[in-house]
Amino acid sequence: MSRPNFMRRNMIKLALAGTALGLCAGPALAQPVSIDFWDMIWGGPTYPAAAQALVDKYNAEHPDVQVVYRSVPWTNWYETFVTAIASGSAPDISTGAGFQAVQLYDQGAIMPVDEVVAQLDANDFAPGALDALRYDDHYVGLPWAVDLRVLFYRKDVLEAAGVAVPTNWEEFRAAAKTLTADGKFGLVSSGDSGGMHWILASSINNGGGLFDADGNAALNGERTTEALQYLTDLKTDGSVNPASVGYVNDDARGSFFRGEAAFLLNGPLLPDQAGGVKDQIGIVPPMQALHGDVGTVYWVNNIMVYNQTEHPAETMAFLKWWSDNALPLWTEGKAGNLPARQSIQADAYFQDNPSVKYIIDTYLPVSKTMSAAVGGTFPQLNEIDGDGFLMSLMQSIWQGQPLGDNLAAAQSHLEEIMAD
Amino acid sequence: MTVALDSNEAPAWRTRARQMLAPEFVTPAILLAPSVLLLLVVIAYPMVQGFFFSFTDGSLMKGGDVVGFENYTKLLTSPAFWHSLRFSAIFAACNIAGCYLLGLGLALLLQMDMPGRGVFRVLLLLPWIVPSLVSIVSWRWMVNDEKALFNQVITLFGGDPIYFLSNSNWAVTIVILIKIWRSFPFMMLSLLAALQSIDRSLYEAAAIDGATKWQSFWNVTLPQIKNISIVLCLLMTIWSVNDFDTPWLLAQGGPANATENLVVLAYRYTFARNDVGMGAATSFVTLFVLMALVFFLLRLQRRS
Repeated sequence: MSRPNFMRRNMIKLALAGTALGLCAGPALAQPVSIDFWDMIWGGPTYPAAAQALVDKYNAEHPDVQVVYRSVPWTNWYETFVTAIASGSAPDISTGAGFQAVQLYDQGAIMPVDEVVAQLDANDFAPGALDALRYDDHYVGLPWAVDLRVLFYRKDVLEAAGVAVPTNWEEFRAAAKTLTADGKFGLVSSGDSGGMHWILASSINNGGGLFDADGNAALNGERTTEALQYLTDLKTDGSVNPASVGYVNDDARGSFFRGEAAFLLNGPLLPDQAGGVKDQIGIVPPMQALHGDVGTVYWVNNIMVYNQTEHPAETMAFLKWWSDNALPLWTEGKAGNLPARQSIQADAYFQDNPSVKYIIDTYLPVSKTMSAAVGGTFPQLNEIDGDGFLMSLMQSIWQGQPLGDNLAAAQSHLEEIMAD
Repeated sequence: MTVALDSNEAPAWRTRARQMLAPEFVTPAILLAPSVLLLLVVIAYPMVQGFFFSFTDGSLMKGGDVVGFENYTKLLTSPAFWHSLRFSAIFAACNIAGCYLLGLGLALLLQMDMPGRGVFRVLLLLPWIVPSLVSIVSWRWMVNDEKALFNQVITLFGGDPIYFLSNSNWAVTIVILIKIWRSFPFMMLSLLAALQSIDRSLYEAAAIDGATKWQSFWNVTLPQIKNISIVLCLLMTIWSVNDFDTPWLLAQGGPANATENLVVLAYRYTFARNDVGMGAATSFVTLFVLMALVFFLLRLQRRS
């Protein structure tokens, strides 16, 4: 055999071997799809770790997808998201504030998740939860949790004073006044969003809210005005800790845990966060308001998919998996809200907890969102939630200022927001 | 015999160009170029862009449409703006007065030869050195309820607790006091330097003429530090009007917007209400107000 022929044959063999090797290595070298998942901190320090562990589980079960978890603090959360979107670096998927999805959807940043909703049992969601995320004939996010406001009381304080647990507003006002003595107060609140929740909870409790049935601003509606006047009366009675205006929610909780106040309006898992005084915290039954109505405010925490995602199919698949497997966020992560899925609510973690079970059975069925009376969701709700004008109104009430002018200013501002 | 015109004479612009290209011009231009470029990128461009935004109805995510002077009209007819302007003016005026008096007084004391002067000087600088977040949150804990340190002292002397952060008037007062506490060290340090630069012979001459200490202070000290005082007041005005940390970290601009200054208002428009146009308009109105004040104070300084 001549030398040139020998060389040619060897080169051909090498080329074929290289091709075969390349074909074999192809699958091994393929990169998994990367999905960025931004998650708000929905509980204490244990929450991010539990959420990360859940993401790790998903990644292990789906080697072709790599979900990258990022924990996002609530401080400046809005700026974090809108600047990311504006700069083209939005996550693929995120949880967020109650009305974040609808506002971002309205601005073209969110992809509807109708296809995921279609794969789930609508009846498995807490009553009203899906409707709370429906806008423009689409589901702008998927409900993963609900957060509601519950009125708690100090068992030891009421027992020491011989005061019965109130069942209606009249009894509550009397109890709060009676329990204000010796440096303790009937109730403690805060000047931040925690205080604002008194406006929402009480107005809904009294059959009112921020809107009328036609969706018009109705902060000055009869039922809502009655509720706000009631709060003003509590202040006039001296039942509200004067420091409430300057408090933030953590201050108010601390005051309540120390037994300095008899009542506190807060999230559903407050007793579990109370440490050594857990057994001293009781739940006031949903009270009948001035006209016999019962109710409270709740938010449907949403998880949303962004239009900027380059992997919509994989993101939607992860979304469904996350919804189906979210239980560890509570059992391990100690999330401070409640599951939106009733199948998760049925877990022993919730059902064996007397406080939580009671709230699920009695408060959740009568809960309404900020869009009470009109229903559904719309972009202005996010602005209302974040604007601060309701906080200012609450601060003026807790300062004991007359309601009239402050309410008129708030109504005017609400109308302005709705006109946008 | 007529004299022929010199057709080779260079035009003025060419002569000027040659001068500009001379080494004595080129070298400093090259050295200044990076700084000028940096200023253009990080100051001029954002300002121009922000000014444009003030004429739009954009949000943080969308540029929006041009709406002319609508934002400015809306702002100037808004009660919230006038309230914020009023509070900003009160806040700045009280802060300037308070930290100037305190700073000057302490500077005069530190001029004296006394034991431990160096230690006192360092200690008095601490409010300025401590990060604002740490200091303001610490102050908040000292004033926020009936069990806070301030109220412990007040009740110890038989007084009733004062809910500083829960009453609009007290909140304004405490915000101003904390700002003075944070600002006086800079004033003190600057005035101390100014005092130490005064020619001692002026005091000697005044003493020979029989001037009292108060007369020396009024006729020698104050005139000598007048220029630096104007500059300090100018700086303090700018920093006070632009102070976001103190009212926000302490009271979130509350209660009931009592401590909402122009900067907090701009923040609310932009980030709480997603209205970049109004936020930008508020910022530029603030800028215009400050520029007017700066102009006035600089003219005052030049006259002196």
